[in-house]
This record gives sequence, C-alpha cells and structure tokens, in this order.
Amino acid sequence: MRQEDQLKDKYGTDPGFRVPDGYFEELNLKIMEALPAYPEAPRKVELSLWQKVKPYVYLAAMFAGIWLMMKVFHTVTTSESLNLDNPPAALAKVIASEPEDSYHRFTPINDYLVEQEVTQEYGSIEEFEADFGYSFKPQYASL
Amino acid sequence: MAYKPPIDENELVKQLQDPKTASAAFNVLLKTYSQPVYWQIRKMVLNHEDANDLVQNVFLKAWSNLQNFRGDAKLSTWLFKIAINESINFINKEKQRLKLNDDDADLFLLNNLEADSFFDGDALQKELLAAVAKLPEKQKLVFNMKYFDEMKYEEMSEILGTSVGALKASYHHAVKKVSEALLGDQVV
Repeated sequence: MRQEDQLKDKYGTDPGFRVPDGYFEELNLKIMEALPAYPEAPRKVELSLWQKVKPYVYLAAMFAGIWLMMKVFHTVTTSESLNLDNPPAALAKVIASEPEDSYHRFTPINDYLVEQEVTQEYGSIEEFEADFGYSFKPQYASL
Repeated sequence: MAYKPPIDENELVKQLQDPKTASAAFNVLLKTYSQPVYWQIRKMVLNHEDANDLVQNVFLKAWSNLQNFRGDAKLSTWLFKIAINESINFINKEKQRLKLNDDDADLFLLNNLEADSFFDGDALQKELLAAVAKLPEKQKLVFNMKYFDEMKYEEMSEILGTSVGALKASYHHAVKKVSEALLGDQVV
C-alpha cells in the first residue's frame, strides 16, 4: 500500500480544527466594516518633452562618443588618416599585402632553424660549398 | 441601481476594479474565498486566534491592492499567495520574537496548537499535525494543500510559483518523512 494511503487510513484527512459558531459570517462583516476608502488608481504622470526625448538623446550621445573614440584611436594607431583620398578599402589592401620576406622578418632565427633549412636544401656538403663558393676546413667538412 | 452579483470571475474582477461596485463585489469575494483562505492559514499557524488576525490582514491587503490585480492569475490564486506570504512572515516574526532557530520552529507551532481552544482533534490528529509541523516550510505547504485539501498540482504550481514536477517531488518527500515519523516499521 502507498505511504499516503497508509497515512490516510490511520490518521484521516481532517486536521481536527473548528471555528466558533457563525464565525465566517462575523468575519466577513468585520472585514467589510474595516475596509478603508476605495484605493485610488495610481495617477498617470504627464511627462515633459525633455523627459520623453531624454533616453534618445542619451543614446545618440553614446553612439557619437563611441564614433569619436574610434576615430581618435584610429588616428593614433595609423599614420595615414582616413579620408576621400585614402579610403578604408585602399588601406585594407595595403595591410593585407604581406612583404615576401615576412617569414624571415617575423620568425626568430636560431642555429637549429639554420641547420634544418640547410640540411633540407642541400643533399651534401659539396653542394653547399659549390653554391656558396666556400670550402670548409677538413675537420668541419666531416661534420 | 441594485447590485447584480457577478456571474463569473472576470465579471467579479471588473466590478472589484470599479469604485462604484467594488464594495459589493468585495463582499461576494469574501463570501466565496474567506473560508478556503482561512483554512489554508489555519493549517500553517495551527491556531484560530492567529489565523483570525491573519485572514483579516490578507483581505485588507487584497482590498488595498485591487488596482494592482491584473487578472493574470485567478482571484483564488492571488488570495492564496497573499495568505501564504502573510503566514510565513508571521511565523518568521514569531520565531525571531521568541529567539527560536529553524529546528525549534515546530515547537512554537505545537505550542500554538496546544493553546488553541478551537482544536478538537484527537491524539492521532495531534500526532499527524506534529509530524507535519517538523517539515521544511515548502514541503509543509505542499503537504497541507495536497493531503488535506486535495488541491491539483497545477493550481499549487500557480500559487507557489514552482513547477509541477518539483511539487510532486516535494510531496513525495513530505509523505515519506511524515510516514517514517508516524508509521515507522509499518511502512510497506
């Protein structure tokens, strides 16, 4: 048997409360007598013109501020200012065109990279010597 | 013009929100809902005198806020919400006044029950109410609404602002705790 049914079987569903005779009639009368005046509906406040347009003005000012900030930032970070003679598309093209030696400009060169490039490019020390017109001393050539 | 009793709840709400008909409509509201609201409060505070004070506060608050009732929920739901808030506030204030912690809250409620001259229950009913008083606040509410009043979960959900699934789980836990406390080994 379910626990709820077991409880209902043993304890029932009447909590055992009662009220004085005629209580609810008296209660209703008492409450009706105690009611204050009918609450007034909240009054609608007429907004002034400035109060109406204020949020839009603030929004416009915010956008103008952002535009100004971006313009100042752009002027500081680029040497050329954006104008009709130098449109954004032309500037983007310049930025997009990487110089051919960009790999060497931006890659830090160390001994390991040099060795890797040389061994990939040349099959033997003789090829390297022929290319560069240089002959290694015998003790280095064997390395 | 003689007052015409409303035929449905929408009509009653309209009349309540019209200052000319509000008073008569509020009388209808009282006749319809004062009893269920009172019993809901009584089951929470376990004392007639306290329930009597609280039910009056509930309807006075409802009157003062008639203009704010938007009709999204049923009138009964709105009144039960106010009643539950009032009862919980009352219990919390009493706990603070008596400097009781949460574990001792049931003792205060049981003392309230003992002091109630309008409690006619026998030893078994007192035992059941004592076990229910030990439940956490939410489970107690759910248990009272479902076990004693057989309220539908959907209506409880609107009043308590909790999903039906969560209410079912709460009721399951509440019944389990009460059964274990009262039936002990007899639980099958």
